[in-house]
Amino acid sequence: MTNTIEIKDLNYRKNYRSILEDVNLNIGKGKTVGLLGENGAGKTTLMRLIAGVAKGGSGSITIDGKTDVPVKKSFVSFSEQLNGFNPSMRIDKIIRFYEDVYPDFSTEKYNKMAGFLQIDEGLRLSALSKGMKEKLVIGLTLSRDAKVYLLDEPFGGIDSMSRKKIIQSIIKWKSDDAVILVSDHYVSEIASILDEVVIIKDRTIYTQKSAEEIRSKYAEGIEQYYESIYEGNDIDD
Amino acid sequence: MKFDDKIPIYYQIKNYIYREIIVGKLAPGDKLPAVRQLAVDLTVNVNTVQRALGELISEKIIEPQRGKGNFVTEDRDTIGKLKKMLITEQLQDLYENLHKLNVSDEEIVSYLENYINERKQVQL
Repeated sequence: MTNTIEIKDLNYRKNYRSILEDVNLNIGKGKTVGLLGENGAGKTTLMRLIAGVAKGGSGSITIDGKTDVPVKKSFVSFSEQLNGFNPSMRIDKIIRFYEDVYPDFSTEKYNKMAGFLQIDEGLRLSALSKGMKEKLVIGLTLSRDAKVYLLDEPFGGIDSMSRKKIIQSIIKWKSDDAVILVSDHYVSEIASILDEVVIIKDRTIYTQKSAEEIRSKYAEGIEQYYESIYEGNDIDD
Repeated sequence: MKFDDKIPIYYQIKNYIYREIIVGKLAPGDKLPAVRQLAVDLTVNVNTVQRALGELISEKIIEPQRGKGNFVTEDRDTIGKLKKMLITEQLQDLYENLHKLNVSDEEIVSYLENYINERKQVQL
């Protein structure tokens, strides 16, 4: 079996409102996949379901052949926004917390990434700029030895240098077999590192395509292709 | 390096390496950076680099050595052919574009000669 993620007939409702409908999705081993869609399209919900943080819904989500929730949770590293931590907590304390909670967290890997991303561990959480906080989130998320990494909008509102560093660290530290699912609406910045794009529209998977296929078949950039789906193909620039 | 997102990236990586070889930044027998290092340097996916290198290997432009990495071919003939191919591509574009402007073959030659002479004047 070469699919790391297999989602079958997934339906998810929240407060009687349908969020995701008939989601079917397979993601192969080792792929870096962009999860694209408008705000509110269901990207974060889908990630939360894959991570096992959101519960309920019907259908099945299989990670590396397993459907058992605790096992799946141990396979998935989800970029959390550190909202659960006290803002006055120092970064080094947060790292100790990760070491304690996640058996697959590698301090050695984290230290390498922190050096590359220039994360100052003496600072308190509340003192971090948006870019620095996002670097920390990425560093913590990628330092686990997971089969699937879910990065939920890692580039929102951060400066271009931080963005570049984060993208480079994704390339540098992604193991060959691991899957990275990254959601974003700044498509052009991550386009060059994607194997595939998955577009969510109207509460379901609208399409899943290889990035190079979009370029060779449609002679379109990923951003253009994505926009044409949301705007309708008949609209000219 | 900046990629054009409308053109397959593996193809642009191939062209990038072709050029590095032709201008001598990568000399015959030189070792290419490791796949992941290339991916980081070019800010592209590792799989895309693999695909580009795979094609360069089947074109015999680069030669893999087991456990050592990838090396630029030392076969001058292959590099000569590569250079000719890149030049022909440029000439082909020029030729076709000028033909679309109804410029005849003879005119192309004379325009090109004049142009080169003018450029020489500017440089003096």
